[in-house]
Amino acid sequence: MITTIPKHNAGIHIYGLIFLGLLSVSAPTLATETGTPTPRELIRAAMEHWRGVTSYSEMTMTIHRSDWERRFSMQAWTEGDKLSLVRVTEPKRDAGNGTLIKDQSMWTFSPKINRVLKVPSSMMNQSWMGSDFSNKDISKSTDIIDQYEHRLLKSENLGDHVVYTIESIPHEEAAVVWGKEIVSIRDDFVMLRQEFWDQDDILVKEMEATEIATMDDRSIASRMRMQKLETPDEWTEMVVDDIDFDVKMDDNLFTLSNLRNPRQ
Amino acid sequence: MRNVTLRMAWRNLWRHWRRTWLTVGAMIFSNGLLIFAMSLQFGSYDMMINNSLQAFSGHLQLQHPRYLDEPKMRYAVDNVAELAERLRRELALDSISARATGFALASSNERSYGLQIIGVDPAHEPLVSTLPGLVKRGRYLEPGTPGEIVIGAVMARNLKVELGDELTFIGSGFDDSFAAGIVTVVGIFESGLADLDRAMAQVDLGYFQDVFAMQDRGHSLTVRAQQIDDVELLQLQIGELLDADKNASLRHWEELQPGLRQAIQADMASNSFMYVVLIVLVAFSVLNTQLMSVLERTREFGTMMALGLQPARLSRLVVLETALMTALGLVLGIAVGLAINLYMSRVGFSYPGMDEVALKFNLPERIYPAFTLVSLTLGPAAVAIGSLLAALYPALRLYLLTPIDAMRAV
Amino acid sequence: MTGLGSHFKIILTLSWRNLWRNHRRTTIMLGAISVGVWAMIFMTALMRGMVDDMLNQGIRNLPGHIQIQHPDFLDDPSVVNSIGEPVGELLTALTQNGSRSWANRIRVPAVIASERESRGINLIGIEPATEADITGLPAQISAGRFLESNQDKGVIIGAKLAERLETRLGKRVVIMSQDPDNNIAERGFRIVGIYQAELAAQEEFNVFAARGTLQKLLNIEGRVSQIVLVDHDYRDVESLYRRVEAATPDGLEVKPWYEIDTYLAVMFNMMDGFVLVWVIIIFLALSFGLVNTLVMAIFERIREIGLIQALGMRPGLIVYQILLESLLLLLIGLAVGNLLALVTIKPLESGLDLSAVAEGMAMMGVGSVIYPSLTLYDVVLANLVVVLLGILTSILPAWRASQLDPVRALNTH
Repeated sequence: MITTIPKHNAGIHIYGLIFLGLLSVSAPTLATETGTPTPRELIRAAMEHWRGVTSYSEMTMTIHRSDWERRFSMQAWTEGDKLSLVRVTEPKRDAGNGTLIKDQSMWTFSPKINRVLKVPSSMMNQSWMGSDFSNKDISKSTDIIDQYEHRLLKSENLGDHVVYTIESIPHEEAAVVWGKEIVSIRDDFVMLRQEFWDQDDILVKEMEATEIATMDDRSIASRMRMQKLETPDEWTEMVVDDIDFDVKMDDNLFTLSNLRNPRQ
Repeated sequence: MRNVTLRMAWRNLWRHWRRTWLTVGAMIFSNGLLIFAMSLQFGSYDMMINNSLQAFSGHLQLQHPRYLDEPKMRYAVDNVAELAERLRRELALDSISARATGFALASSNERSYGLQIIGVDPAHEPLVSTLPGLVKRGRYLEPGTPGEIVIGAVMARNLKVELGDELTFIGSGFDDSFAAGIVTVVGIFESGLADLDRAMAQVDLGYFQDVFAMQDRGHSLTVRAQQIDDVELLQLQIGELLDADKNASLRHWEELQPGLRQAIQADMASNSFMYVVLIVLVAFSVLNTQLMSVLERTREFGTMMALGLQPARLSRLVVLETALMTALGLVLGIAVGLAINLYMSRVGFSYPGMDEVALKFNLPERIYPAFTLVSLTLGPAAVAIGSLLAALYPALRLYLLTPIDAMRAV
Repeated sequence: MTGLGSHFKIILTLSWRNLWRNHRRTTIMLGAISVGVWAMIFMTALMRGMVDDMLNQGIRNLPGHIQIQHPDFLDDPSVVNSIGEPVGELLTALTQNGSRSWANRIRVPAVIASERESRGINLIGIEPATEADITGLPAQISAGRFLESNQDKGVIIGAKLAERLETRLGKRVVIMSQDPDNNIAERGFRIVGIYQAELAAQEEFNVFAARGTLQKLLNIEGRVSQIVLVDHDYRDVESLYRRVEAATPDGLEVKPWYEIDTYLAVMFNMMDGFVLVWVIIIFLALSFGLVNTLVMAIFERIREIGLIQALGMRPGLIVYQILLESLLLLLIGLAVGNLLALVTIKPLESGLDLSAVAEGMAMMGVGSVIYPSLTLYDVVLANLVVVLLGILTSILPAWRASQLDPVRALNTH
């Protein structure tokens, strides 16, 4: 029988990715005068924060396996949490490949065949560009936050910042495989860590920010690594080389024709 | 002395020629039937195996050791095309072909479907698989032409494509990169096997390797032997040639299609049961005959014993009689069986409704008997043994005979 | 034929006594006939059992004796080719016409994912109330529970699939498919039951959920993939099929099982022929012995027959007597054979276990436990063939015996 090629499900949520590259506030931090916010408020605030935020970034993704390693450079444009366009710039072989996400739909473009293809739902579990992220993860909307119950586990001081650790347990019918997710997020919205636990309370994967930098006046996690605990020599690392916020986005940017023929 | 016993035995048989002929007749009938049935049975197994394997999997496949249990793209064999060429040369066998397998989503103008794409070597693939010959519309792939694809009839229907239409496909390459291509449908095959017709497509191997970033790798070297009996030898030979290669396992077809061997075993078991019944019935017949013949001659034996003949000799006589009958039944039975086989091998055997069975088990429309030593001799041999065993009882009874009682018998 | 009637008792006694004159020979012949008859009935019961099993399983996998669906559905079983739930005339035909059960069914390709693995599957929406009649699923549950209503939120997966996904009873999995507009339809489901199928391959691909739940998930409320009917006996589906077909709206396809799976149909049709061939072969093997026995019996009594004829018994009566002798032999053999068969089949009613060749059986579509199936047809056929052909074979020796010249006969030693 023919089945889809099963890939390990990254399960990282889009808000994690966005936290990665885009997030921060210079102005109000999470800790308000009224004291420690509820976890829901924390997350809501984070969401509210970059709704309407646009960004342009240049990133490098490294995929490491026991017997090989690959590196991609890409450009990414995002607007809010529903639109994003990613284009590969290096290596030459993959240059020009692109992915457009509009809400929950995903399209991909390959210059080799010069076609734009809609990624059908059966391929949403396949890995995105060979990384430990799946297509579904990359395109998932932050509406998913409503599918969890969030609980603040602790808040502690780390240097100049307060770090909140939030546990999110998916609702019974949520389309989430995990038993729970635990996020450590700094008061300036930098996500330090995201853990994915299975339903037997075993930690399966984690995403960790190994470097934090300031770009375009915001603090962001500039280097993050996604690691499966059961296979320590398989990981994916994202490095943000450069990022600009509040960039003016062309109306035609997030369209299929632009995916095919870049104007930028 | 042997000679006398022999002649006596022979004469005794023909004293009651009707009885002898009827008994021998039973043997001839069974032997002929057994030969015919077994030959057909083995013939059909051979065909079943060959046809099942010919469809796609071949008799042997060289693969990455982990590929059989986990058919992942990454578990590949290096240098497939070259390796195939080398094997073909060294073994002087052309029916060896390299393949690579991947999964992709194919889209036509109207629809998209997941399918399994096999990169094949169009020059040699037709020698290992019957699929190229089952292209009902259009043509098969030609060597060295990228950008062409053949798909199954059901898939063509589902995608709503015809010859000359284009398909785009997208999947994951060897290094998990994007693998995408546009191909033209040049041929549509119809194998009758739903799995193939609905989900398999084939492209040129070179093109596949290019698109899926395989470099020179592939996933299997498929070998088809001339005859099923050659397989084990081939296995040894290939094993020697590839001696130090830890990154490849040579898989026997029984590993590739485990159900096949067992289906045959199950069938053999049930058939054997029926054969045994037949043999038992013939043995009964012999028992009856010989017992009667012994009992009738009780007086005669009594007289002989009184004259000095030992019981052992008498027993031997009875056994010899049976042996002669059995020999007759054997020879004539084999002759009859052979004759039927010869006829069948010209005409072929089929029964109403065989088409569907043929389809399901990959049999051709007519079955031809296999002339093997086993099929020609096992049945008759078993009948012979059964008959001789049946003769034991009457023969042994002779030991209990005392001359005086015997002579008094009616 | 008053002659016959009035002499009947005498002739019967004669025949009976003749039979037992040489009890050893008669016993052996009886033994042979019994074994032969036993073999006829036993083997055919086993074979029919196998074929029955294969057919029933095959039908349960379709599933159903009759299926109603979109004409493109069998080629392309996707959510796009769905049909409306039955209403009006069709609904009446389904509920009223004495068919044992009917159900709506959903079947779409989907992907199931656990924390560690994902797999392509067949997602099947069932109606729990009637499922037991249609497939064997409720009986195959090996852990947990079956679905309880059309809106049950749980999912049932095969033991093998659970293993592959590295998940268990009680855990949540995510199932993803698409709706008719090609949007992603996905949801978390808790595994409420695990099943084990006879055919292991099924366990890995078939995942079951409640029909109503799937309709909501896939956004096809009021629509289903198939309407499935089950009658009382798979052998007798024709009339139901006609009625249902008449009531089905145009544009929908109605198919009985023997058109959906032609292999099964052929197996079914072939069985009767196969049984006949087997019975005749056994009979032929027996016939040599039968004729032999008869001929020997006659030979031994040549003087006696000569005497009787000399005393005035008509040749016809001699034939009659010998035939009767043969008939008695056959009848006793039949009786013993039938009894033997009954006695050996009964204990196997709980099944003959052939799990050693389970995989091969699976390839033929049969489960590894066989239940012999004794049918009246087979028993009657065996008995009839033995009696009729037996008598037929006996006619020649009997007739020849009647043609003996009494003088010559009397003088034989």
